[in-house]
Amino acid sequence: MQREEAIKIVIEVLEDNVQDLEMSDDKMDETLVDIGVDSLDVMLVMMDIQEKSGVKISDDKADELDTPNKIVDFILGN
Amino acid sequence: MLGIENVASYIPERKIDNLEQADKFGADREFVEKKIGVLKLPRLSEDESVAYACVEAFKALSEKGGVELEEIDCLVVCTQNPDRDGLPHNSAILHAELGLKDECACFDIGLGCSGYVYGLSIIESFMQANGLKRGLFFTCDPYSRILDPEDKNTCLLFGDAATVTLISDSPKYVKAGAKFSTRGAGREALEKVDGKLAMNGRAVFNFALMDVPKQIKSLLESQELDVASIDLFLLHQGSRFMLENTIKRAGIPSDKAPIELSETGNTVSSSIPILLEKRIRDLPGLVLMSGFGVGLSWASAIYKQNS
Repeated sequence: MQREEAIKIVIEVLEDNVQDLEMSDDKMDETLVDIGVDSLDVMLVMMDIQEKSGVKISDDKADELDTPNKIVDFILGN
Repeated sequence: MLGIENVASYIPERKIDNLEQADKFGADREFVEKKIGVLKLPRLSEDESVAYACVEAFKALSEKGGVELEEIDCLVVCTQNPDRDGLPHNSAILHAELGLKDECACFDIGLGCSGYVYGLSIIESFMQANGLKRGLFFTCDPYSRILDPEDKNTCLLFGDAATVTLISDSPKYVKAGAKFSTRGAGREALEKVDGKLAMNGRAVFNFALMDVPKQIKSLLESQELDVASIDLFLLHQGSRFMLENTIKRAGIPSDKAPIELSETGNTVSSSIPILLEKRIRDLPGLVLMSGFGVGLSWASAIYKQNS
C-alpha cells in the first residue's frame, strides 16, 4: 500500500467517526486526544482502520498508536 | 401456541445521580451524558433482594389485569446475582413469596444480557413440551452487588431493575424464529474476579459491533425477511455509544431502534423487556429482539403479532 492511500484511510476513518473533526496536515502528528478523539471513539477508529486496511491491531498496539501518523506508519509496516 | 401476553417492570426508586458520580471519578460529564448515555442509575437498597424486586414487578403486572395466581403453572427467574448465592434457586423463593400452588414448575436460568431472548425460548419450549398454560418469566440481575467501587467503567454503566413477562396460551406476540450463539473463548471480556465485576470494554465493544449485526442479518435471512420488514428492533441497552454504532452497522434506521437507558443504565437481562413493556400496547407487527453480553453470549429472536 502507498503512503498516500494509508493516509487517506486514516483521515476518512477519523472524520467519519469523530463528530465535527476536520483533518488537516498539521493534525497528523497531534495526539488523538488533542484532536478530540475520546476513549470510545478510539475503539471505533481502530475497528474501522482494521477493516479498511486489512491489518490486525492488538489492544496493546492500539494504545501505542496515539497519533494519526503513527497509525499510518503501522499500516505501512504490517 | 404460547407466547408473550404482557410485560411489567420494577425500577427501584433509589437512584444514583450519574453526573455527580462522574465528578467523583474525574470523568467528563458530557462524555457520560452523550457517550455512555446514562443520567440516573437505579439501585436496590441493602434490604431489597432479587425476590423483593421480582415481587414488585409482579405487583405491576397484576395491576394491568389478566393474572390469576392459582393459574400459574411455571415460574422461571433469570439472574447471575441471585439471593442466597442461588441456593435455593430464587424461583423457589419467589414461588413462596407469591404463594403459588405446588403444581408449578420452577427453575432459574444463569445468563446475563442475552438472558431475556434465551429465557423466552426456554420457558415457551418447556411449557409447550409439558402442556403448561400460564407462566411467569422474571429477570433481575442486580450488578450493584458485584461492582468494584473503584472501577468507573462499570460503576457509571450498570443499573438494577426487575421485569416479569406473562407467557400464556393467549399471547399478543409469538416467536417466528431465533438464533443463539456463544464464544466461550471470549468470556474474559466480562467476568467476576474475586467477587467483583471485571469488564474489558474494548473487547465487549468489538464483539457487539462485529457479531450482533451478523446474527441479526442471519436471522432475517433465515426468515426470508429484511431490515425493512421489521417494525421495531429492541436491542440490549448496553451503552448509548455501543448501541448507536451497533444499530448503524446493522443497517437499522435509528427511528426503529429505541435507545432508552438514561434513567436506568444497563440493566442486563431486564433491558429488553423494559423497552417491550412501553410498546406492547401499540402492537407493531414484527419485533426483533437481540441480547448480547456475558459469555460471550448473544441471541436474537423475531416475534410477530398473534393474529
